Amino acid sequence: MEFFRKTLDPVFALAAIAVLDIFLFLLLGAWTVGGGETMMTGLIAQAVLGDDLQRIPFWNIVFPPHGDYWKIYISLGMLFGAFVGATMSKEFYLRMPRRASEWLMITVGGLLMGIGIRMAYICNVSTFFGLLPEMNLGGYLAISGILAGAWVGSLVYKKILEG
Amino acid sequence: MTPVVECLVAFLFGSVVGLLMQRSRFCNTAALRDAIMFRTYRNTKAMLMAMMILTVAFTGFMSLGAGHPMEFDVGLNTFAGLFLFGIGMVLAGACTVSTWVKTGEGNVGALWALVFTFVGMFLFSLVWSWNWWPPAPQTMTGEPNLPALQLGFANARTLQDKLGVPAIVFGLVQFAVLLAIYRAILRRERAQQEKHEQHQKDVAGQDA
Repeated sequence: MEFFRKTLDPVFALAAIAVLDIFLFLLLGAWTVGGGETMMTGLIAQAVLGDDLQRIPFWNIVFPPHGDYWKIYISLGMLFGAFVGATMSKEFYLRMPRRASEWLMITVGGLLMGIGIRMAYICNVSTFFGLLPEMNLGGYLAISGILAGAWVGSLVYKKILEG
Repeated sequence: MTPVVECLVAFLFGSVVGLLMQRSRFCNTAALRDAIMFRTYRNTKAMLMAMMILTVAFTGFMSLGAGHPMEFDVGLNTFAGLFLFGIGMVLAGACTVSTWVKTGEGNVGALWALVFTFVGMFLFSLVWSWNWWPPAPQTMTGEPNLPALQLGFANARTLQDKLGVPAIVFGLVQFAVLLAIYRAILRRERAQQEKHEQHQKDVAGQDA
């Protein structure tokens, strides 16, 4: 099928996603990823720690873990959709970072993303495709933050690439 | 809507998003990083297009009291959290969406970033349980709370309630600003293209 042979124009893809996001906004709430990831973290922690997790107030008060939280399934859907797209277009294959510096950058980057999402109560998706279109004050604060962060991150990235 | 139906709707939405993201190679990290580092805007334009459509639609429905806008207090933590996130996504080379999408393509680095996003979230849950900041949703009031570095809650609907002007009017103003940025990018791309063509002509002229 043509769809799986050619790269799709991202402007078209994001316009289509925006239309779907309007329906999601009307039914449940705007597209978000960080909330579902937090719930998954809680469920994994519960599986590992059992009842001891109750001793950490965050998981009692802010995010009591439960599996029927709809935001989790957006992330699982994205994983499934991407897997189908990659398989159908014969683009699925295991890719490994080669250098130790890449592994280190990914580890630190992942940690900062997780800490940042929990500190802000939102992720980049909610920032651009939820809060900003709702003209939420938090959207403008978050965009200022993510632009400043991306600029600092780019400086660090350049230094590591050159160094 | 029952929780099961909610989860099914969310899964269906996510599946289509994952498919479109995979086929278009869209990346939110690249939308910011490439514009800053390389002055290329393939992903930035796509992000702006979605933001323009959503601004008009969301504020339009909010004018009518429809939809489910996010409601929670924001403050210094919103800026600081996304600042850390911005550094993290450039270093990891992926954001919340592309970690899932690239993992679905077999990218082990993206899976590694995802695992450490979870670890980072758990670490922050420990810090939160020690200092209880930022305030829990249950204690949010919607009003500024300066000792907790919180500015309260405001969006297009609160503006509509306070000023008596429909939310869509503010939405159209924001749409115009986003459109101006989009058009500025198109102009810059045209200028880059012309410069590139001129350079190629010059090189061809020298070779001849």
